[in-house]
Amino acid sequence: MSSHHESILREPLVTGENITYAQVTDDILVPVENKPNKAWWIGFIVSALGALLWVVSISYTFWFGIGAWGLNKTVGWAWDITGFVWWVGIGHAGTLISAVLLLFRQNWRNSINRSAEAMTIFAVICAATYIVAHMGRPWMAYWALPLPNQFGSLWVNFNSALVWDVFAISTYFSVSLLFWYTGLLPDIATIRDRATGLRRRIYSILSFGWNGSVKTWQRFELVCLILAGISTPLVLSVHTIVSMDFATSVIPGWHTTIFPPYFVAGAIFSGFAMVQTLMLVVRKVMGFENYITMFHIESMNKIIILTGSIVGVAYLTELFIAWYSGAEYEQYAFLNRVSGPYWWAYWIMMTCNVISPQLFWFKKIRTSIAASWILSIVVNIGMWFERFVIIVTSLHRDFLPSSWAMFYPTVIDVCVFIGSIGVFFTLFLLFLRVLPAIAIAEVKLLLKSSSDQAKQKLIREKAVKADHAEYYLESLSKFDSIPQENEYAKN
Amino acid sequence: MESNKKYWKGLEELHNSKEFVEKNKGEFAETLPIEEVLSEAGLSTVTPRRDFLKALGFGLGAVTLAACNKAPVTKSIPYLVKPEEVVPGVANYYASTFNGHSVLVKTREGRPIKIEGNPNCLLSKGRLNARGQASVLDLYDVSKLKGPTYNGNLTAWDKLDQFVKGELNKIQAGGKKIRIVSSTINSPSTKAVIADFIGQYPNTKHVQVDAVSYTGIIKANENSFGKAVLPKYRFDKADLIVSFGADFLGTWISPIEFSRQYVSNRSYDALKNKKMSRHIQFEAGMSMTGTNADTRVPLKPSEEGIALINLYNALGGNLAGGKKLANNPNADTAITLVAKELMQAKGKALVVAGSNDVATQILVNAINSLLGSYGNTIDLDNASLQYAGNDAEFVEFINEMKRGEVDAVFFLNSNPAYDYVDSKEFTDALSKVALRVSFADRADETASLCQVIAPNHHYLESWGDANPIEGYYTITQPTISPINQTRSAEESLLTWSDNAVKDYYQYVQNNWTKNIFPKTGSSWKELLQKGSVSLTEKPAGSYTFTRELNGVAQTIVKRSEALAKGGDNSVELQVYESVALGDGKVANNPWLQEMPDPVSKVTWDNYIAIAPKYAEKLGLRETDLAEVKTDKYSVILPVLLQPGQAVGTVSIAVGYGRSKAGKAAVEVGKNAYPFISFNNGTFQNVTSASISKARGKYELAQTQTHHSIEGRNIIRETTLKEYLQDPYAGTGKGHEKKYDLWKTYEQPGHNWVMAIDLNACTGCGSCIVACNAENNIPVVGRDEVRRRREMHWIRIDRYYTFDEGGKKVTEEDEIKSLDNMDKVSVIHQPMMCQHCEHAPCETVCPVIATMHSSDGLNHMAYNRCIGTRYCANNCPYKVRRFNWFNYWNDSRFDNYMNNEFTQLVLNPDVISRSRGVMEKCSMCIQRIQSGKLNAKMEKRPLKDGDVKTACQQTCPTNAIIFGDANDPESEVSKALTSERTYYVLEEINTMPGVGYQTKVRNIVEA
Repeated sequence: MSSHHESILREPLVTGENITYAQVTDDILVPVENKPNKAWWIGFIVSALGALLWVVSISYTFWFGIGAWGLNKTVGWAWDITGFVWWVGIGHAGTLISAVLLLFRQNWRNSINRSAEAMTIFAVICAATYIVAHMGRPWMAYWALPLPNQFGSLWVNFNSALVWDVFAISTYFSVSLLFWYTGLLPDIATIRDRATGLRRRIYSILSFGWNGSVKTWQRFELVCLILAGISTPLVLSVHTIVSMDFATSVIPGWHTTIFPPYFVAGAIFSGFAMVQTLMLVVRKVMGFENYITMFHIESMNKIIILTGSIVGVAYLTELFIAWYSGAEYEQYAFLNRVSGPYWWAYWIMMTCNVISPQLFWFKKIRTSIAASWILSIVVNIGMWFERFVIIVTSLHRDFLPSSWAMFYPTVIDVCVFIGSIGVFFTLFLLFLRVLPAIAIAEVKLLLKSSSDQAKQKLIREKAVKADHAEYYLESLSKFDSIPQENEYAKN
Repeated sequence: MESNKKYWKGLEELHNSKEFVEKNKGEFAETLPIEEVLSEAGLSTVTPRRDFLKALGFGLGAVTLAACNKAPVTKSIPYLVKPEEVVPGVANYYASTFNGHSVLVKTREGRPIKIEGNPNCLLSKGRLNARGQASVLDLYDVSKLKGPTYNGNLTAWDKLDQFVKGELNKIQAGGKKIRIVSSTINSPSTKAVIADFIGQYPNTKHVQVDAVSYTGIIKANENSFGKAVLPKYRFDKADLIVSFGADFLGTWISPIEFSRQYVSNRSYDALKNKKMSRHIQFEAGMSMTGTNADTRVPLKPSEEGIALINLYNALGGNLAGGKKLANNPNADTAITLVAKELMQAKGKALVVAGSNDVATQILVNAINSLLGSYGNTIDLDNASLQYAGNDAEFVEFINEMKRGEVDAVFFLNSNPAYDYVDSKEFTDALSKVALRVSFADRADETASLCQVIAPNHHYLESWGDANPIEGYYTITQPTISPINQTRSAEESLLTWSDNAVKDYYQYVQNNWTKNIFPKTGSSWKELLQKGSVSLTEKPAGSYTFTRELNGVAQTIVKRSEALAKGGDNSVELQVYESVALGDGKVANNPWLQEMPDPVSKVTWDNYIAIAPKYAEKLGLRETDLAEVKTDKYSVILPVLLQPGQAVGTVSIAVGYGRSKAGKAAVEVGKNAYPFISFNNGTFQNVTSASISKARGKYELAQTQTHHSIEGRNIIRETTLKEYLQDPYAGTGKGHEKKYDLWKTYEQPGHNWVMAIDLNACTGCGSCIVACNAENNIPVVGRDEVRRRREMHWIRIDRYYTFDEGGKKVTEEDEIKSLDNMDKVSVIHQPMMCQHCEHAPCETVCPVIATMHSSDGLNHMAYNRCIGTRYCANNCPYKVRRFNWFNYWNDSRFDNYMNNEFTQLVLNPDVISRSRGVMEKCSMCIQRIQSGKLNAKMEKRPLKDGDVKTACQQTCPTNAIIFGDANDPESEVSKALTSERTYYVLEEINTMPGVGYQTKVRNIVEA
């Protein structure tokens, strides 16, 4: 063993005193197994009211028609598709965290992946509501699917990016749901094992007969890995396809080859911002400070700087290419974005997405919870405006100046958007109450207990060199908040 | 074999076991447990869970399925005895007359649904204007009276007749005056009816007055040449047209006729012969005619008279009163140059003025006489009878009423309570009249002051005739039985005057047989088929002006001084007719209300048009309200910044502010008639007023809010000089290369395309209304137009370009910094679905609701559309229209489609679209289809001209040509081979099916 070099200079991913497996389970299941606290109730009531607003405003739209929104003959999409792309983008962080970071063995993801995935699913649900709601005849929505039918030889148009979108979003939703639920199985089983009565029966059904055998675990790991493999390309493909809704058109400002990478980066950017927004609140309200630590916050902030910078470069590239292309309409489209009637939207986008994340270069800001939370909201605002800018400023002044028009949202537009946020939070808050917000099984992997015990045994048996042992103990006290002295003092 | 061969059904039967024999005795092998079930025990058995669920499931399923589709009972009842000429699904056309223009009325299953020009018509040559197209909708107007009324209550005709006749006899006996007040009547039969009426009641006099009057010209001609007529102008014979405020393409006298004449000298054929007329317009407000002028000079009304004197002097006259226009050096130079050009064009020049001032018109006559226009471009011998109103007579009539000399008055197509300069004066005077009868079809402003309303037929319900120009007679025949309990005014007059012939149909026929056929030949039957007869035109005589002019000049100078009286916030106010509504009689027509003004693109309102720079000086901005005030009247209206409006002037359209015309007209604009003044014996449309900012904001509903082309090559134009050097000038041809990623569609049969000549389009908007009528296009109302949701399939884009030191300024930012916005040139570009070969809309539709046909059309399958609007977003021309609401079944859009009765005007060949689907120009696919079917029935190939789109058919100037590009001999193929052809946005390779011909301006460099 002595030849084995062991890196221990790592900050622990789970902090707290006397962390044991049981402790982890207890901590994480507090919100699931107890009555909700006041903070949850306040949040839930506000969100539910938001969801109600959504129901009312969507019903109004369905009853009277899309005319309830501020769209016109020139601007055929505005808040609807802005909202759609925004929500889909937000979803991306969840998939990235659960799939890509899993493949890259980024163990720190274990404490945030569950909530991030839940966020993905709820965000995609919100996005999907926009797809259906924005249709003139939503009751015909299924026509966008290539279903065998009796309408003759009617089929979908595989040339249309919207059809690709239908596939992308539905695949994305189903894979995300599957991945999320698979990951939940051991944890549901844990709840089942601790529950009694009806709860036990429900969780028993939900756990799909999880028995915790080695074979089960092995299969679980394998399925997770396969799903991670399937999900990984989706991280890139979904928003690529969403971007093609615009990129495959002829409208100046949309017709841009840079869109796929730019949209993917933007999606991850906004997704992490949303995870940050949620997790900072969740860790406080649910008491998960030991699981979602400063390390996580800082890591996510780093990703936000990276993706924010990619997005910034994309913005500048667009401007450069517009100038460099010499294409009259393209040039005007970007000039109009920067200085046209919607200049303020462009500059909100620029400020929120490009300038504000750069503040995270400062460690102080990066590690400040308040600053992180505020900036994460700023980024979300910025990303909403990014989509608004792309959609509305490109459409409202395209080729023929006779058709140039302005878009002004109606009350219904605003209500649908606020309502969709309400729907999202309602779902998320319900999730927090019925399912563990942190992957219990996966977090347990982060505890060093077994290797630590082995090490303790070796030290007790004096099988480790004295200086080595001393260094180890010193490191532990330096990085680990678990007081270890007592354990070792026994010898 | 034995025939009693037996087949056994089971081993039991084969073996014929004992058990089997026993069982086989009964009908059923085993006894049914009926007894058991019916016994008490059976009934009380508990239904098993599974059965319950089965029953429940089936029940729920069945009920759900049954509830899925309500199956309304719709009864369709066929003709019991089918009229010979009516075949369901096949349209019948009847010749009739709209406003003196012979038209063809398309009827389907007995109801008129569309008006089309009659190719035999001398005035229109088969074309029609917007008001003509829209007139069919008035037939189905629900604001009309259901029958005659007495003191506001519906009554019966015989009671009414008794009353009126009784009153008339009393009045006749009393010896007081009877007056028939009407707008111009040129119908020979109506005139005869009135003459007969006068014969019966000799105290009667017929007073004609037009809301927008041409008395000035008539009086001037009487004065100058002894002929009190409205001459026939020949714009087609003029190489140089100089107009002082006459909107002859839009509203002046006979715009359909004039547009055709005017453009015949400027479009394809003329240009092919390397010829093009030149048109110079001096005017205060930007009129539609002004937008088409090669050179347009803003001129204040007060400067107009002086400018004419200057022009007369420059042409060799010597009149006192001419002086430099100190404030308008631009116009001064222009007059000098115009005089030179006019001298060169002698005999082929035409000067017209829109003024109704007798003195001004006399001076114009003198100028035309100097130019030798009489006998060439002006024809006094085949006079126009379209307007014959006499302003002074009407004013005298009011005085008669005031003096209490009139005991009975009949209003026929006349509404002085609305359009007389002083409504109160008129109303007060009218109250002194004992018997007040109106023939209005609704209780309008005047009719509601009358005891008796004897509602007249709509022209599509009645017999009648017209004589719009000398020697040209047209017939009006009904195309539907009267919808309401109405009676033609003539029949009422015949009844009341106890005429021997009380049936107006008979009367008309008698009149024609007696008075017209002997002159023209032809027969009644032939007339009904052809719609009109005409005498050969008399040769136009040459006339020379010889009268003394100094008195005239003095009057003009005095009037100019009065107009330019100055003072704080003083402006010269010009009231004008809008192209859509005209004098306002048709204000309750939603199609016309929603037709954008050709110049301002405003719908559903009138406004104060004011020059942008001048407005800035007054502190007025767009969406501001302003008050325009004279000593007797004032209105508060929204401000419209109108480039080209003369500085120091404002223009307001009449025809708005109808309080009692019906639902569509109410609360639309303000009445501007009271601004008209009675001066020197005529009503004059210019006056001095003051303007001030009013409180509040008001957004006008404009269909276009950006007015410059931003330097884009979507509009291509050139000058005549350049065109003569290089016919390709301005098209940008010669350096394009085509690369194509796409497969070309095969078009084995037809390839439907369109050619639009920008030099022919005057922007009049008839195509918009024709398309509305043909394609069942919803009217969305003012608020929705404000939200930019009008549904028109065809629109006319209008762009302003400014000239600064010879440089064209087309970009918004640069325009803002211009000091002088007077030098504005305007272009009209009709824009509809371009039916691109590589249509961006087609690739993006997720459900293939829009696709390409093998004959070059871009189809739209409404039933397949799910309404993602992706196609509209991706359309570079922004011609797709989305049904934001259910316009035909939504009480908030009670314009015409929502009303079950008004729906009768809809074209049954075109489906009305539900909410949530996209629509757009189909190139009148229903007409293509019927053209093809007709050709097939006649066993011949489809030939050019068989299919005409609605816009093409009505276009007064033939600016739109539609046809088959696969036929090299078709009109459209020929038009598209023109060197001037270009395609809008051809650089993005959409390969549009609509080609445009460059605008050529005949500009003479100073």
